[in-house]
Amino acid sequence: MQARSTAGLDPITVEVVRNKLDGIANEMESTLLRSSFSPVVKEGLDASASLFTVEGETLAQACAIPIHLATLIPIVRTFLKEFPLDGMAEGDIYIMNDPYLGGTHLPDIALAMPVFHQGRPIAISAAMTHHQDVGGMTPGSVPTNATEIFQEGLRIPPLKLRDRGVMNDTLVRMLRLNVRIPDVVMGDINAQIAACQIGARRLVELAGAYGHNLLQSIFQSLLDRSEIMTRAALSDIPAGTYRYVDHLDNDGIELDRLVRIEVAVTVKDGTMHCDFTGSSPQVRGPFNCVPSGSAAAAYFAVRALTDPTIPTNAGCFRPVSLQLPEGSVVNPKAPAPVGSRTATIKRVTSCILGAFKDVLPDKVPADSGGELLTLAFGGQRPDGTAYVIGEFIAGGAGASHRSDGVDVVETDASNCMNLPVEALEMEAPIRVHRMALRRDSGGDGAHRGGLGVVKELELLGDEATLTHRGERHFCPAKGSNGGKSGAPAVSRIMRASGEETVIVSKLVTTLRKGDRLILETAGGGGYGDPKARDAESRAADLANGKVSAVADD
Amino acid sequence: MDIGVDIGGTFTDVVCRDANGTVRFVKVPSTRSDPSRAVLHSISYMAEHWNVRPDEIARFAHGTTVATNAVLERKGARIGLITTAGFRDVLEIGRQMRHQMYSIILEPETPAFLAPGARRKEVAERISADGTVITPLDEAGVGRVAAELAADGVEAIAICFLFSFVNPAHEQRARDIVRAAHPDLVVTTSHEVDAAFREYERTVVTAFDAYVKPVIDRYLGKLETGLSGAGIGAPLQVMQSRGGLMVSRIARQRPVRLFLSGPAAGVIGARIVGRSAGIDDLITVDIGGTSCDIALIARGKALIRTEGVIDGFPVRVAMVDVNSIGAGGGSIAWIDRAGGLRVGPHSAGSEPGPACYGRGGTAPTVTDASVVLGYVNPDYFAGGSLKLQPDRARAAIADVLAKPLGIGIEQAALGVHRVLNAQMAEGIRLVSIRQGLDPRQYALLPLGGGGPVHATALARELGIIRILVPPHPGVLSAAGLLAAPVEHEMSQAFGRDLAGLTLADVRAVLAQLDRRCTELMRAETVDQRAISILYFADVCYIGQAYSLEVPLLPDEPEPLKRLYEDFLAAHDRVYGHATPSPARIVNLRAVHRAGGLDVLEAGSPAAAQREPRKGVRRILVAGHADFIEAAIYEREAMRPGFGFAGPAIVEQRDTTTLVEPGWSGTVDASGNLILTRNA
Repeated sequence: MQARSTAGLDPITVEVVRNKLDGIANEMESTLLRSSFSPVVKEGLDASASLFTVEGETLAQACAIPIHLATLIPIVRTFLKEFPLDGMAEGDIYIMNDPYLGGTHLPDIALAMPVFHQGRPIAISAAMTHHQDVGGMTPGSVPTNATEIFQEGLRIPPLKLRDRGVMNDTLVRMLRLNVRIPDVVMGDINAQIAACQIGARRLVELAGAYGHNLLQSIFQSLLDRSEIMTRAALSDIPAGTYRYVDHLDNDGIELDRLVRIEVAVTVKDGTMHCDFTGSSPQVRGPFNCVPSGSAAAAYFAVRALTDPTIPTNAGCFRPVSLQLPEGSVVNPKAPAPVGSRTATIKRVTSCILGAFKDVLPDKVPADSGGELLTLAFGGQRPDGTAYVIGEFIAGGAGASHRSDGVDVVETDASNCMNLPVEALEMEAPIRVHRMALRRDSGGDGAHRGGLGVVKELELLGDEATLTHRGERHFCPAKGSNGGKSGAPAVSRIMRASGEETVIVSKLVTTLRKGDRLILETAGGGGYGDPKARDAESRAADLANGKVSAVADD
Repeated sequence: MDIGVDIGGTFTDVVCRDANGTVRFVKVPSTRSDPSRAVLHSISYMAEHWNVRPDEIARFAHGTTVATNAVLERKGARIGLITTAGFRDVLEIGRQMRHQMYSIILEPETPAFLAPGARRKEVAERISADGTVITPLDEAGVGRVAAELAADGVEAIAICFLFSFVNPAHEQRARDIVRAAHPDLVVTTSHEVDAAFREYERTVVTAFDAYVKPVIDRYLGKLETGLSGAGIGAPLQVMQSRGGLMVSRIARQRPVRLFLSGPAAGVIGARIVGRSAGIDDLITVDIGGTSCDIALIARGKALIRTEGVIDGFPVRVAMVDVNSIGAGGGSIAWIDRAGGLRVGPHSAGSEPGPACYGRGGTAPTVTDASVVLGYVNPDYFAGGSLKLQPDRARAAIADVLAKPLGIGIEQAALGVHRVLNAQMAEGIRLVSIRQGLDPRQYALLPLGGGGPVHATALARELGIIRILVPPHPGVLSAAGLLAAPVEHEMSQAFGRDLAGLTLADVRAVLAQLDRRCTELMRAETVDQRAISILYFADVCYIGQAYSLEVPLLPDEPEPLKRLYEDFLAAHDRVYGHATPSPARIVNLRAVHRAGGLDVLEAGSPAAAQREPRKGVRRILVAGHADFIEAAIYEREAMRPGFGFAGPAIVEQRDTTTLVEPGWSGTVDASGNLILTRNA
């Protein structure tokens, strides 16, 4: 479509429509969360909803975790390529999940629905949900030891799930047969359809109120406005190329090899270009991150670095470009496994932000623990019933020019809750002996890094499978402006026999009765010269047990 | 004579209802440093202006913000926390989620200020998930850490042990040891405050209880003394967040139930107004200076949530489900870097307030726009107690908005209203959608000073066709205090699958809860024979982490089957589906209730013997290119049966109602103003 004129639009109507679009996205998201079946959506909030222009640009998005930011963009582009606009019909719904065609990882299934008003397509309504299971080698479909995507579950290319209102039964039967919990998966897919339909219904109302042409002009104006504001905010950053390097511990398969993430961010003329040349080649384990994930990281960074009052839509992302070397950990080639890419997205995000530490010292904090230790226990209760229980544990945040880092908090691209001790003990034959702030783990500085957490658990039952996916065991969170690094993560198993093993960041093993797991997550980096830390803060840290002794220089 | 006093940030609202049911009200300025002064001031006002004698007062009901302000201003007591060994940091670690998703410089998410590490102590003890003692309580250790905390100057001690909601023996013993050694200290235990699982949430609410208890105790004690000093022998009743009153003596023991005291009274008032108008399904919208509070009343019942949020921290006590969005009369309009008009989230608050207040504010606000558009009479704002300055409103909108946008002052002002109304309407829609309710099926009830100006515009956006404006929307909370029942509530964790559960097991727990409620009720001056008892169960599917509160009817046939069916129906309403999967009870709850009224004012209010129509004013509304003439009506002079058509403005001392073209108004027999969208 040719560029439409946005001159002469009433700025008030534009702002009214923007508020409505945000409201529609929120209503879609609320419907999605409300009517989904699986706990991962209801409690993990791992789902998002978006509205797109018919050109595939995001108009509004509602998501509860940043990892979803803009991840529907390449998917909607793929749909538009596969099913050109003039062939779309009212009642169509498209579906896909393949990471190598624009998806993220296989559990994330995306649905999109073209919205018609008086026979003309006016927008696209889309929803993505992390499904509880999509088949593959392990329940939950995120195997940490996968070496090929085929082990991670069912790959769905862009297909029509519904054609002019008629469901594609062939596809549904195929889907149902390839997942472990077909009713839950279809329930969640139906919730996605409901969300898309809510979006469609309200968009049609908008088109009825404002007319097709005015609405399309307003859409363009909204995107242009966010682009103008983002470019203006990027122009406030001194032009230049800024670099950062950090590492993931390993890929879960080759345990002694660090995975390098390198970025050179060039800011000039109101644009931001992220070049990942120098990053590790793709890895054997499932930590590869397809381009949609690397883009989500860059988009998160641009939203965090610019003005938070800029309305989030595709206009914010127009000034952002990425160079993702083919065959690298940030742009792998099929059939590399990609299931555990959250850790990679987190590190990519912190690298892009880290590149600005020196040029924007008032905006960018020191590195965060930036790990989301992922644990899973599976075994049998004394009464013979099976249990599977998972837990996510955060580290400390980096300190900033303004304040100490926050202790034990989710940062950057993820945002998960931990599991209450009482919930874990009620669910599984496990006892938690300690959950405490990890003393001395925050990097020293004028402002101290946030502390990690110490958790000590004991298996009471006979035998359990433990999956441990850590980060920051080998590469601590670096400080800023003279601040020190935070403490790296350490995880150990104390066998009942007295034998002690250090976990090399990633591990799948069997725990036996009386074995203890001692977990210490990473602290955040410090900010500023430790000599500049005021005596009062040092005394408070000592009194409150955040440090064990006043540091001597 | 019944007196209701609701303290807000700016005004203290006083409502007096005599034996005939006639209601009078007055707003006096709040006295933030010592809120009881405004209350005592109101008593002398009533004596002086209304000839109310102290011995005539039968009831004195009070809505207070003291608990909330103690938290917001960090002015609670110095407290200590005693926990199970290994877990003193639970309070500071929290749930590790952050609220500001796109911020990279974070703020703490947990209320560690309640008790920093130095004032959190551990003692050896451990109880398992099934209530078995694994490690006996180190009693000497309790004595030692209590002495340390006392030496550190704490006023109150909170005790929170793991699994105390299953077996409270260790908490009880520790409490007794601390009390024996330190009779002056306030001691609060987690199983008494919130006997439910999830240690962080239970610790937070227990610590808040300890933190506000000494403050509330002093405040209510002072107020009790002041009232009896003024010769008032009637009991002082305080509104709880859940919407029931309790006598001051009990409130001082259960202060954590007072956080939403004022808003709860407003919702109770709205429910009763709705009943007087024969409307059971209502969305209430209270628009203040900085925020807009939204609540739902479905089938005549206020929706209750089992966990609320105070200053961003979870507070797990039942409260009316009031949702706040950051938009109000003080919301500031501005122009962004792409030249677009934006409204909020910053607010001018009440200091300096909107430009038209003439208190030094220069930023254009929603209230300034209301003045420019002709909605608000500058000489009759808040009953004339604050003279507005229209020139300042015009200047602010001209300089900051109209000039950069290249449009007229009036059009810019209308833009501010259109944008704010779109924002608020989306907020209201989301609140009802989350409850599985369709706003189009509801009537809108605006309250507070600012609500009625926006009512027709919001209703239009939401597809609502009926609006209910109570006789005195500006003092509805104070009036609600007079109609609320006395209520006591007790909960107990009860983690049992429904399958295999017998009614006898449930009844045993309900009987305990009843005994504790009865004890509390004895302190109230209510007819003990007129107490009604309600039971509830928090129910979830097995494996689900969230639950729904479902009424439990033990005297109906097959109560557990009925509970399960009602749970499925509730699940279907709230979550859009329900499968016949096994469910379990998480908590049991008893509510004992007495008194309460079905009307706020008896009969119809005596209308002044005047012509309601005062004149006309030119106003600008959405959908019209130019100013139109609106009739101005005086609410006090409108009698039941009086009808009129928009465009119109209804003025009264406590608020202004804008009736846009396309709406008609009538006054019903109870004095409510009913606005209906023309077909």
